[in-house]
This record gives sequence, structure tokens and C-alpha cells, in this order.
Amino acid sequence: MPFLEIILNVLFGGLFLVYWAVAFIITYHLTRFGVGTQPKRFAGIFMFGSLVLSTIAIILFSKLEISVFLAHLSQ
Amino acid sequence: MIKSLFSIFRESSCSFEGQKEGEEILLLLRRHVFTIYVRIGFYVLLSLLPIVLGLVFYSYLLNRGWFDVFFFLSTLWYLGLWIAIFHSLTIYTLSAVIITNRRIIDSDQHGLFNREVAELNGSRVQDVSTHTNGVIQTFLHFGDVTVQTAASEKQFVFYQVPNPEKVKDVIMQMAASAHTGVKAKILPKEPVHNIDV
Repeated sequence: MPFLEIILNVLFGGLFLVYWAVAFIITYHLTRFGVGTQPKRFAGIFMFGSLVLSTIAIILFSKLEISVFLAHLSQ
Repeated sequence: MIKSLFSIFRESSCSFEGQKEGEEILLLLRRHVFTIYVRIGFYVLLSLLPIVLGLVFYSYLLNRGWFDVFFFLSTLWYLGLWIAIFHSLTIYTLSAVIITNRRIIDSDQHGLFNREVAELNGSRVQDVSTHTNGVIQTFLHFGDVTVQTAASEKQFVFYQVPNPEKVKDVIMQMAASAHTGVKAKILPKEPVHNIDV
């Protein structure tokens, strides 16, 4: 695996970790400090949307042919 | 078990951190929904960006075979927007004013880890004033409510709250009951709908 491909993989992994860390903090704040049902609903919608978007991002990333894309860029 | 898990989305005792025994929530105020709609509208406009770019550079992306990369980057853009929208909603939801039958708690959430909470005892309320400014605030019935406390203490200002007149009445009623000891009239159980105060 070329060096650039490894870097892109690590970048995507890191980005994903940061996203889910922030997602956890937002969900925690909404469920822990929110008064009434509205914050809990927001937390539910947020988690559902995050799961769907993350799944799509993972699928698209796994289908991505980075080496081909990088070869195109270097031309 | 699943039913009880999902019940948190429907029913809530409207309790809050630091609630004292026998203390009941009269009003739960947040800024008018218009303020958050404006921000969400901005994010909705930003969400159109990948669609516009896709349409403009359609032939270029097709010739180069870069649609996979484009879709992937678009998904990352939407992930970023999703978190930005809910960051704004979190700040909006957690910045609330709780008026109980004993006190007023003003909680300002400036960031995820930046929170300011001020409390005012009902017996220290001196007078309450409202301020509606501009066409939008007048038509949508929202404005600022200022609570004046004892002379040397600071003012409590609740910005852009819906139905400021009703809020003023409830605070005055709560203050009067705190002075006289007569229990304030409790509003319906779930006072979370910040439009119908």
C-alpha cells in the first residue's frame, strides 16, 4: 500500500473518531442536562442521522479506489 | 423494556439538576424558535452546495470518473453540517430559564463546555419589564424580559423569549406568592413548549 494511501486511511479514521467523540458529547449534553422531552428527541434524531450518514460514508470510502484517484491527480 | 426505553421521548417529569423538594416548574423558557430557524436556514443553504457543485461540474466529474470521490466528500460535508446543526440545537435547548414556585434559574450555554447559571429567589424580585423591539418581534410575539432585583444586585435579562407579557405575569405572580406565602398557580404539567407559554 503506497504511503499516500496509508495517510488517507489514517486521516479518515481520525476524522471519524473526532466526529463520534463530538457526537457523544452532544448526545450526553442533550440527555443529561436537557429539561423536558424536547432535548431527548433531538438526541434521538441526532444519533439516528449520525449512524445513517456514518454508514454511508464508510460504504463510500470502502468503494473508493484511492490509488486510481491519486494516479489521476499525478497525471 | 424497549417501551420504557422509548418513554423518555414522550414523558418527562420536567425535573432539573438541583431541584429542591416540593419545588415545581411554573415555566420553562427558551428563546423563540425563530432564532434557531434562522440558523438552521443558513445550514440548509449550505447543504445545497454539493448539489450545485455536482450540477456545475457534472461533465468534468463524469469524464474524469471522479464521482465516487465527489460522493464521498459530499457525505463528509453533510456529516459536518449535521453536527453543526445539532451543536446549535444543543446550545439553543440548554440555554433555558426555569421559573419555579420558589426561584428563577437562568442557564446560559455559551459552548459545549461553557455554561453560566444564575439564580434568583422569588422574594428578591422587585419589578419586571418587557421589551419588544422591531417588526419581527412584534408579529411573532417575542421579546426581552428584565427582572429587577434588590438595588445593588444585577438585573436578570431573558432575551427573545416568547410571549413576554405572559412571562411577566407569571414572574409577578410567583414573586407575590413568595412574599405572601400563598402558593402560585401551577401551569399544565409539561410547560416545555416554549411558544405556548
